[in-house]
Amino acid sequence: MSLVVQRSDVSEFRRRFRWIALAMVVLLFVLIGRLFQLQILEGEDNKAIARENIVRRITLATTRGIIRDRNGKVLAASRPSYNLYVVPEKIDMQVVWPRLVEYLGVGVDERARLEALLTNIRASDGPRKSQQILLKEDISRDAVATLRTHDAELPFVDVVPVPVRYYPYEEVGAHALGYMVEVDAEKLSKLRSAGYVEGDRVGATGIERAWESYLRGTRGWEKVLVDAKGRRRSGGEGIIEEPRRVDPIPGRDLRLTLDADIQRAIDKAMRGELAGGVALIDVRTGRIIGLYSKPSYDPNALSGGSGKQVIRDAFRRLYSDPLKPALDKTISGAYPPGSTFKPFTALAALEKGLIDHRQASNCRGALTFGKRTFRCTHVHGPVDLHQGIAESCNVYFYRLAAELGVGMDVIAEMGQRFGLGTKTGLGVNAEAAGRMPTRAWMTLRNKGQFRLGFGLNAAIGQGATTVTVLQLALAYAALANGGTLYQPQIVRAVETSAGTVVQEFAPRVRRQIEVSPENISLVQKALYAGVNSEAGTAFKARVLGVDMAGKTGTAQVSHKLARGAEAERVWYFNREHAWFAGYSPSRAPEVAVVVLVEHGGAGGKHAAPVAFEVVRAYNELARERAPRAGVNNAGHKPKPDRGGAP
Amino acid sequence: MIRGDVSPRAKDHFDWPLFITAALIAVLGVVNLYSATSVYQGVRAELYISQIYWLVLGGILGGILVAIDYRHLERLGYAIYTFGVFSLILVFIFAKDLRGSKRWIEFGAFRFQPSEFMKIFLVIALAKFLHDDPRSEGRTLKDLLVPALLTGVPALLILKQPDLGTASIHVLVFLMIAALTRVKWKSVLTFVVTVICALPLIWNYVLLDYQKARVTVFLRPEDDILKTGWHAHHSRVAIGNGGLFGNGYMKGTQNQFNFLPDQFSDFPFPVFAEEWGFAGSVLLMLLYGFLCLWSIRIASLAKDRFGAVLGVGCSAILFWHAFINAGMVCGILPVVGVTLPLFSYGGSSVTTMIMCVALLMNVSMRRYSVVPAPDRL
Repeated sequence: MSLVVQRSDVSEFRRRFRWIALAMVVLLFVLIGRLFQLQILEGEDNKAIARENIVRRITLATTRGIIRDRNGKVLAASRPSYNLYVVPEKIDMQVVWPRLVEYLGVGVDERARLEALLTNIRASDGPRKSQQILLKEDISRDAVATLRTHDAELPFVDVVPVPVRYYPYEEVGAHALGYMVEVDAEKLSKLRSAGYVEGDRVGATGIERAWESYLRGTRGWEKVLVDAKGRRRSGGEGIIEEPRRVDPIPGRDLRLTLDADIQRAIDKAMRGELAGGVALIDVRTGRIIGLYSKPSYDPNALSGGSGKQVIRDAFRRLYSDPLKPALDKTISGAYPPGSTFKPFTALAALEKGLIDHRQASNCRGALTFGKRTFRCTHVHGPVDLHQGIAESCNVYFYRLAAELGVGMDVIAEMGQRFGLGTKTGLGVNAEAAGRMPTRAWMTLRNKGQFRLGFGLNAAIGQGATTVTVLQLALAYAALANGGTLYQPQIVRAVETSAGTVVQEFAPRVRRQIEVSPENISLVQKALYAGVNSEAGTAFKARVLGVDMAGKTGTAQVSHKLARGAEAERVWYFNREHAWFAGYSPSRAPEVAVVVLVEHGGAGGKHAAPVAFEVVRAYNELARERAPRAGVNNAGHKPKPDRGGAP
Repeated sequence: MIRGDVSPRAKDHFDWPLFITAALIAVLGVVNLYSATSVYQGVRAELYISQIYWLVLGGILGGILVAIDYRHLERLGYAIYTFGVFSLILVFIFAKDLRGSKRWIEFGAFRFQPSEFMKIFLVIALAKFLHDDPRSEGRTLKDLLVPALLTGVPALLILKQPDLGTASIHVLVFLMIAALTRVKWKSVLTFVVTVICALPLIWNYVLLDYQKARVTVFLRPEDDILKTGWHAHHSRVAIGNGGLFGNGYMKGTQNQFNFLPDQFSDFPFPVFAEEWGFAGSVLLMLLYGFLCLWSIRIASLAKDRFGAVLGVGCSAILFWHAFINAGMVCGILPVVGVTLPLFSYGGSSVTTMIMCVALLMNVSMRRYSVVPAPDRL
């Protein structure tokens, strides 16, 4: 029996039943053919699209390593923060948006700003509008709780936990630690291969930048199921291919040589000064115990969480301040060392055998050389090398240069032996090399003309001679320890998040300076007198119980001309830099300290008291920590390494 | 007065293949609806229970319809049609605006869609017309003017709601019934040329913007997957994701993860195809194929012209619904709101389709019965 039959009494229709049936069969086969195409021929492609629809690979943030001071105090860590992401194109501005801003609890201005941002993106043609964008950073915990409670009402709104860098000591020691910035497009193109993505933060300065590869860790990822509205769903067995998850590897922790309490003490000691830098280093290891630059900034304000506009404003303030808070004055700024350089001139003369240290020279308050008069601070009368250093007699050193033939090259060579005028290689922040000018250099600079007067300036650390605070501290450490110039070290060990030491950096000697112990001893005695003899320039700054040897310095700066309203400012910038460089205790030195007070005036008055205060704090802390002795000394087992350089 | 009239002979000719096929599709529909709505909570999750109620209610209505000899409808044909057109006019007065369209008339908690029932009323009216106007020679377009008008009036009213899908079904049902009659080739040619020429006018003056957008997306599906093309794109993906044997019952990811909107009304087939694969989809299509072809067989065996046209008309309703729905979810036709017969959720739709099956059953059961005496009509 055929499926379709016809009857004679409906003659008009006759064969047409068959044609209609045939048409139906044909169309039915068209459908089945299409199903065959979609499910069999293109089945695998469609399965892939279906999987892609519901499986998202989300990045799992890693935890950046913690930076601790030498006693384990946390200097930089990561705190949890929550960012709000939305898909602009999908946000229902009539229903969802008013709810979202209500739950966020933002003010009228903030609401208008966010709404403008969303509207702009929605109106644009770019792909951004259909992608998840960061709408607001670091939303409050209350807002997070409210948003999560009302999750079902807020499709295409996502709250993502993001760790934000946190610096508990805020401004103190900010330059050494550095801060984080969001990686820009240019950097990202270089860093993408290392796993960085848009929105990532990267160390911009200081240890954060230099030790980025250790601190950052490795991201993980996880495949999750999401529905059509982008919401996470559970399950997925058999849908998500293995591996489903790769755990993030947290960044390494760093144990620094810095002492947070010392940093605070330095900050306290510098409270009366506007700008400057202080370095405190262990003369036996080259480890940096304190490294401080003023004015400082709060790295928390720059490192994210507070929103891009806030960060932009903070940067603008940072770079428009005439006191240059962004500059690390201990490493990145080079300054004429002034009289703190005299010990090296003295050593140069002694090493060359050009002078007898007992031979006195008469200081009448000035020395005329050629057509120019080179001045001293006051009339010293007869001055030998010991007094010349202790009382900081310029004329004595002018004579060394002018009459005894201690030329620029000899002075520069001695400075260089002590690491002055050369980058220390600390690797943290852009480092200024400073300068030990030679005769050739001065000739070149002065269009082929060289005057002997240049040498006179060089002898007292003026003119073209410049050093950094850290260089001078290392040089004084070498003076204190008898001639061992250390590689400065700020990172002592790399540790796992569980506290296991992965790599420990032993102190590294940069060079053993070839100077006779007798000559060094002569200088050391003079430095002791500089602080402890009544005529010593730092005598008045002494603090009871602090045994110190050292040298003050008052470095003249090239004067600026005052114009109108800037007069007050120019007055400040025309003042000399105040220096103090020394070490303590004088007989068995542990630490070298260098203080620079930018435009502070006289070194003995402004820099030396700071140095004493810092060393006093160091001694007190050492006493307090006595039962835990060994934490900060060199008494650990050294291991071959790269000396703590990043 | 119309009385129930099921003779013992008619009972003997109960059309089991028709009944079993329709019942099988309806059961599959409920089973599929349970899976399709499992992604919801609350009222929507209980839609499969409502569907069972509708099927039972429709079954009772169908039973009543089977009991009444279909030939009584011939007498009432135009009255029923007029009632249908009147109810379509009422829609514009009483219906609430729902997402930009007015389709439903509400009586308390109960609501129905007159345009769904109008399809059957139109078929009855057309059957009556062709029954009253037998021809042995071929028909011209002029001869089809009245049936065209009978179709055009409700189709335009429905298009105004706007409901392009249902209006199209009316036109397609008319065309299939017209194809049943012997139309002169010249007239067919004239009609085809006229339609082709009228297409730009229809595009510019008849179709609404969203309807045009659906056609555009159909022609260029990659243009707007996130908005207008979402339904079409994701239903194709869901169907394709089914592969040969499917992901298994309630394991269709595109449904479970909400990529298929309206998966209970207009898009239940992708849910089914994703879960049961090519094997299941073809089986369902074959069930529809059998249902429609069996309906044509019923029409061809009908005792009279009215029954024959009624059978073809009902078959056309079932067929075009199935073809357009499956075609649109497969991406061979633009997306228009047309349900899958007996499978999609919806009281009006289910009731209409059961009425179609009941009318076919009616014609089938009475294919051997004597034409009733005039006094019984």
